[in-house]
Amino acid sequence: MRIVVCHPQVPFARGGAEILADNLVEELRRRDHEAELVTVPFKWYPPKSVVTQSLVWRMLDLEDVQGGPVDLLIATKFPSYVVRHPNKIVWLVHQFRQAYDLDRTVLGEFGEEPFDRAARRAVHRVDQATLSEARRLFAISGNVADRLESSLGLKAEVLRPPPQRLDYRCDEYGDFVLSVGRLDRAKRVDLLLEAAAADDGLRVVVVGEGPDRERLEGLARELHLDGRVSFTGRLGDEALADHYARCLAVFYAPVDEDFGFVPYEAFLSEKPVVTTRDAGGPLEVVEDRRTGVVSEPTPGGVAEALSWLAANPDQARAQGRLGKAEAERLTWDATIERLLGA
Amino acid sequence: MKVAYFSPLPPEPSGVADYSAHLLPALERRIEVKVARRGAHRSPRRCDLALYHVGNNADAHGWIVEALRRRPGLVVLHDVVLHHLVAEMTIGQGDNDGYLEAMQVEGGVVGRLLAHGVIDGLLPPFWAERPEDFPLTMAVVGPATGIIVHSQYALDRLRQLGFERRIWRIPMPAWPVSAPEPPPAGEKLVIGCFGHMNTAKRVPQLLEAFAALRRGLPEARLVLAGSASPALEVEGTIARLSLEEAVTRRGYLDEPELWRLIGEADIIVNLRSPTMGETSGMVVRALSLGKPLVVSDVGWFAELPDEVAAKVPVDEREVERLKGVLARLAGDSALRAKMSAAAAGFARTEHDLERVADLYLAAIEEAAGTDDVEHAVLHDVARAAAETGMGPDAAELGEVAARLREAGLGRGRSRAS
Repeated sequence: MRIVVCHPQVPFARGGAEILADNLVEELRRRDHEAELVTVPFKWYPPKSVVTQSLVWRMLDLEDVQGGPVDLLIATKFPSYVVRHPNKIVWLVHQFRQAYDLDRTVLGEFGEEPFDRAARRAVHRVDQATLSEARRLFAISGNVADRLESSLGLKAEVLRPPPQRLDYRCDEYGDFVLSVGRLDRAKRVDLLLEAAAADDGLRVVVVGEGPDRERLEGLARELHLDGRVSFTGRLGDEALADHYARCLAVFYAPVDEDFGFVPYEAFLSEKPVVTTRDAGGPLEVVEDRRTGVVSEPTPGGVAEALSWLAANPDQARAQGRLGKAEAERLTWDATIERLLGA
Repeated sequence: MKVAYFSPLPPEPSGVADYSAHLLPALERRIEVKVARRGAHRSPRRCDLALYHVGNNADAHGWIVEALRRRPGLVVLHDVVLHHLVAEMTIGQGDNDGYLEAMQVEGGVVGRLLAHGVIDGLLPPFWAERPEDFPLTMAVVGPATGIIVHSQYALDRLRQLGFERRIWRIPMPAWPVSAPEPPPAGEKLVIGCFGHMNTAKRVPQLLEAFAALRRGLPEARLVLAGSASPALEVEGTIARLSLEEAVTRRGYLDEPELWRLIGEADIIVNLRSPTMGETSGMVVRALSLGKPLVVSDVGWFAELPDEVAAKVPVDEREVERLKGVLARLAGDSALRAKMSAAAAGFARTEHDLERVADLYLAAIEEAAGTDDVEHAVLHDVARAAAETGMGPDAAELGEVAARLREAGLGRGRSRAS
C-alpha cells in the first residue's frame, strides 16, 4: 500500500510524538509498504495562527502523488488531521490541548478577549468537522480517547503505540534515578529535583532538552543539588539505552500526559517507574506497587517512593521484570495489523 | 468577556421570564453577565456582546427589540413567527406606516396592499388569522449578528426566511426536579393540560377526544389549568360535552402549584397548531418530571423522540387519533412507565441545564469574535494570494473558500448543537 503519515513539525523541537511518527513510517516500510512522512511546520501563536495553519493542512492534496494514488492516510496530531483524504484514519496523539483542558491554566494559550475566545471555539469547530470525517479514529491512550469524547463527543479506539527500538537491557540497579523527556514545565522535572532535595541520598540524571532547561538547572543550584544532579541534554540511542540499563528507577510524572513512551522504555530495561496520581496516560501503564510506584504529586511523595525503591532493590528488580513482561506484549505487528485492518 | 442580557424576568408573567430566571445563574457561573434594566434601550456599558431574548409579545419584548435596533447582537428567538409582536409595536402604537413597511419587506407590493386591507378593516387581521403566512421575522431579526433557537424546525424556518448569519440550536433547559412516585395502581387516571389557552392549543379538540375517552373510561379525569382567551369559550365547551364533573378547571397557577399538579398527572397533553416555531416550557417541565407526553406532530414537538412523546397529526382525524392514543396510554401502565423513564432521561441529557449553559457560552464566544477570527484568517490567505500574484477573482481562491467551509470556518453555515 502507498501510505502517507501526516504529522506537524515544530522546528527545533522533538519529542515522543515525532518519534512515534518516524517509527510508524519505519515499521510500515519494514512490512513492505511504500510509506512516507508528510510534515508541515506548526506555530500556535498568536491565536489566529492556530486556525490559519490548520487551513494549510486542508489545502494539501494528498489523494494521489506522482501519478499514483495514496491508498491510506494516517494523521496523528493537531492540525495534521485537518488534511483531506477519502481514506483518512486518525491515530490521535493529542488535540490542541490549549483549546481544551489546558485553557485558562498556566499552560493555556488563549486569553479572555473575544478574539481569543472565538479562535479557541474555531479550533473546536475545525476538530469536530475534520475528526468526524475520518474513516476510523484511534487514540494513543485511554486518556486521549476520554478527552476526545468529553470535548467533542467523538469515540476513538485505544491503540497504544509501542516504544522506539533501542538496545534495551538491564545491566544493574544503579545509584541514580533517571528522568527522560523534553524539558518543559508540563513534564514537571521540578518535582524530581525537589524530591532529591528532600532525600540527600538520591542522585538524579536528567536526559532531554527543552525550553525549561535553564530554569531547572537554576533550581538545582538553588536547592544545592550540585554533584547529585546532572543534565545530559539529548542523548543518542546508544547512550540513552545505556542510561536506562544502569539506573535504579525511572521518574516520569508530567501533568495529565497524553500517553508517554518513557514508562514502556523503562519497563523494557526492567526498571520500575515512579509516577504521580495526576500524571494521566502513564497511569494506564504503571500499576502501583506492581510495576512501579504511584505517589502523591508532591516532592515528599516522590522522595518517599524513590527512597523506598533505593532501600528495596529486590522490589525494584521484581517490579522492573513485571513491567518488561507488560511492555513486550505491545508489538508493532499487532499495532499495524489493527491500523491497516481498519 | 462581559455580556449584556436583555430579557423579561420574574415577576413578569412570561415563559421567557421563567426561562431566563432558570438559565441566568448557570450562565453567570461561566461568564460575566450584566442584566439590562427593563425598558432600557441602550446596552449596559463595556459589554462585549448584547444578548436579546425575543418572543412574539410586545409587552414583554418590545423594549428588547428597540434595544436590538440600536445595537446589533445575538438574538435568542423564542418564536419564529413574530407577526403579533410587529403588529403590536406598529399598529398597536398608532404606527400604521411601520406595519405597511414590515409587510412590504416580507411580501412586496402584495404584502403592502394586504396590510392596507387589514388597517382599513377590509381584511381580518393576520396576527389573529394567518400569522404564519406573514411571520414578519426578518423585520425584527435583521440587526441580529446571530440567532439562538431551540429546535431544528426553527433553524430550518429561519433559513427559509432568508436569515444567512450564524444560527445555534440550543435546547431549552430542564428543571432540576425529581420525578414523583407514580400513583398507586387502581387510582383514577389523570390527564393534565397546562399553560395559557388560545386557539393554537387545540383545547376544543382535546375536550372532544377526552369526552370520547370517557365513554369507555368514565373514571378518567382532566386537569385543564391556565388562563384562557375569552373567545375560546372553554367553559362553554366543557358544559356542551357534559364534562363538568370530569374536568378540573384552574386558572393561572403559581410555580409550586403548577409543579404539584403536573406531578399528579399520569399523562400530559400539549397540542399545538399552528406552531409559531416555539418550544413549550410546559412540555419541558413535564419532561423534567418524567411524564408521558401526547403532543401534536408539528414543529419542535415533532422533534421529540418517539419513546418520550406520542405524536398526533393535525388533520381531520385528529380527535379520533388523540382519543385512541389516550386510550392506549390509559390502558397500558407499563408503556406509561417506559415513556416516563425515557422522558426523565431525555430531560437529564438533551435538556440538562449545565449542558445548555455550556452551549450558550460557546454561542456567545463564537458570536462575539468569530467574524474577527475569520477576517484575520482570510487576511492571511488574501495576503499570501496577493504575494503570489493571484487577484481577488482568481479561481484558486474559490478552492480556499471551499476548504474553509469544510473545516467549519466558512460563512453562512448553521451550527446545530
